Amino acid sequence: MVRRAVVSFAVLALVYGLVAELAGPLLPRRIWQGTHYVEDVELLPRYASLAEEAVFLVRAEILQGSLVVSGARLLAGVLLGTLAGVALGLAMARARRLEYLAEPWVAFFRFTPAFALLPLYVLWFGAGEASKVLLIATAVAIVTQQGAFDGARAVPPLYLDAAAALGAPPRLVRRRVVLPAALPHLVTSLRIAVALAWVTLVVAEMIAPEMPSLGYLLTLSSVYPRVPSIVIALATIGALVLVSDALVLAAYHRATRWMRRRHDDR
Amino acid sequence: MPQRLIFGLASVLALLALYTVAATAYGRPGVLPPTTALATTFASLVTGRAPAAGAGHPHPADHLGFLLHEQATLPGALAVSTGRVLFGVGVGGALGVLLGFAMGWRPALDAYLHPVYVLVRSIPPLALITYLMLWLGHGEAHLLVPVVYAVLTTVVIPTYHGTRDVADVYVRAARALGAGPGLLLSRVVLPAVSPAMLSGLRYAVVVAWMTTVGAEMLMAGDGVGRLVVGGGLWSSRHTVGVDPAVVIVAIVALATVGWLMDRAARAAANRLTAWTRGRPRW
Amino acid sequence: MTTADLPPARLRVTDLAYTYPGRIPTHALAGVSLDVHDNEFVAIVGPVGCGKTTLLRLVAGFLRPTAGTVLHDGRPVTGPHPERGYVFQEEAIFPWMTVRENLEFGLLARGTPPPVRLAKVRELLALIELEGYPDAYPKELSSGMSKMVEVARVLATDPSVLLLDEPFGSLDAQTRARMQDELHRLWEARRTTVLMVTHDVEEAIHLADRIVVLSPRPGRIKADVKVDLPRPRALEVRLSPAFAEIKRTVWALLGLTG
Repeated sequence: MVRRAVVSFAVLALVYGLVAELAGPLLPRRIWQGTHYVEDVELLPRYASLAEEAVFLVRAEILQGSLVVSGARLLAGVLLGTLAGVALGLAMARARRLEYLAEPWVAFFRFTPAFALLPLYVLWFGAGEASKVLLIATAVAIVTQQGAFDGARAVPPLYLDAAAALGAPPRLVRRRVVLPAALPHLVTSLRIAVALAWVTLVVAEMIAPEMPSLGYLLTLSSVYPRVPSIVIALATIGALVLVSDALVLAAYHRATRWMRRRHDDR
Repeated sequence: MPQRLIFGLASVLALLALYTVAATAYGRPGVLPPTTALATTFASLVTGRAPAAGAGHPHPADHLGFLLHEQATLPGALAVSTGRVLFGVGVGGALGVLLGFAMGWRPALDAYLHPVYVLVRSIPPLALITYLMLWLGHGEAHLLVPVVYAVLTTVVIPTYHGTRDVADVYVRAARALGAGPGLLLSRVVLPAVSPAMLSGLRYAVVVAWMTTVGAEMLMAGDGVGRLVVGGGLWSSRHTVGVDPAVVIVAIVALATVGWLMDRAARAAANRLTAWTRGRPRW
Repeated sequence: MTTADLPPARLRVTDLAYTYPGRIPTHALAGVSLDVHDNEFVAIVGPVGCGKTTLLRLVAGFLRPTAGTVLHDGRPVTGPHPERGYVFQEEAIFPWMTVRENLEFGLLARGTPPPVRLAKVRELLALIELEGYPDAYPKELSSGMSKMVEVARVLATDPSVLLLDEPFGSLDAQTRARMQDELHRLWEARRTTVLMVTHDVEEAIHLADRIVVLSPRPGRIKADVKVDLPRPRALEVRLSPAFAEIKRTVWALLGLTG
């Protein structure tokens, strides 16, 4: 299976390289930007241009800086959001009254695209880190709340009965029975949440831009435009998304060593 | 479940009351607009007319004024955004189903396509928007492509899993009964995959809204996203300040429409998969 | 032998009745009275739906009776408690915990210090002959082995009463026979008071001192059959004529034979 993946990637890389070299000269180099023309645009950058640009970005420390800043924001947002979401989801699963009270708000936030909240957050929390981290945390919390809630609800009553019959106090039951049983659901929702977090982060950085950040790199490169930078920024973001997803998946497999498997996970 | 309704309503009303108290106590209508301001802003955006002077409207009135000047109204913006969402769900959904189905049905195809798919999916559609604009110009296309793309990648997953799970048991049974490919597809595979597909539809609606609003916020042509952002990506944050009342009204409107669409999607899904509960019809 | 010679009842069930709520309420039990004495092994048999599991769950405290009382050592039963160890029909071993963690769960629940827990777990592993498996996950065990872990898990807290709900019902016939033998060996070693629900008449006769036969729904006690077979009872006891005689009696009570 890994071999096939490598083959696919190799083919894709080759095809791109070829198309960029051959079709490149045929593409327009003068693009209308809505209010003015820009010259010398390489719509489909060749590998040479990409390499050159990558070196430039690394030398100027733009790429590393953006990576670190964006990555840190994401991590902070995901951690905060997961904690809040899981706590709320578990609490809602435990207390029916709380579930009914919180339900309209959870539904409201679920149908609100996170970005729409950005102007409010910027207004309330300033244009610095707080607004972006909180925005990511909000988006993540909504998803993980659902995962925790569904997971806790899905715990077979049999296990709860068995624990009660063994004399387990409620705290122990939550820690050693409900949480492990709910973990698969939770981690699945975490995967979705992480992907959403990346989208939210990048878009937030594009809307409320400041350097260094991956989102701003993306928009800045579009203003001139420097297409090789755009492509590199996109590739970096894509790589980061893949890596974080792989990490969560690995955590999932480790945490569910005890499960009997049916299919392999994708 | 009256208790559910009572608690839900009580919660909403309680928070509304709390907000009103907090907003008036805080005394900075530019940050926390009082409920009256929300009401007048809502009325303005719906009718397209400026609010009566001194109706407790906060600064900066530029945001609202700017919008009214551009003749952007709430119903108008909602209509535009909804149109984009429906387009995205329709086209992206159809393509996603086809792709998910193809990948789930032919494991060989899946083995080669899947890694590519994973790679492509890892790039957030909205990040592409500026690049797309260079290719596709400033029309609708560069806004719609991300939506279609986002819906596609969302729908592929459940369709793929649904198809893979069907492939074994029912297909073998049908084949043993002598079913040819046509019958197999229409009477066995499609109905069996539809619950997964339709659950994907609900996610697709949420994703489509998110992407549409995001695209509108970035490109600020029209639509609800534009309402929220006022000026757009390339206008300075400082010349067109953000009016929280406008943002809140827009968000509430968005959430309401999104919720309604979700209910519709859920009802449609339930109707089309009524056979999953109860006896099968054949 | 009169009732005065026997020690006082460990479990006393008096006029127990239970109705499941719902659109159409189900009268599961209608007036059951039963005494289980110390160190006695009592089996409950009856046709499908006669309420035997309901009875057990009421005794355990998972359900509150619609009428009647359950007394454990003279005190009313108000909820599940480790003093009344319960083994479920379904597989209730915690799949995310190792064998060791499962076994010590009851001890963890009551705050037993780690060295004591360790010793107890070792003792239990020896009892069920799974010394080599402390760190195994349930998915690595056979269904018979994991059922034994469930039984041992319940024994960890030294309950005064053991309640078994068709414990081997989910196992195949061969494993079941082996497990019944195991249970018999365990009981001979510990002589806990046991109340077991089963649909397997042979199992009941092999293991129990008394067999209580319930009527079809709503469940009432139809008969109380004494099993006078000498202990210890090896597997061969199932081939004896005395065994067959008791089996005939029970089958007739169940309406299986004319």
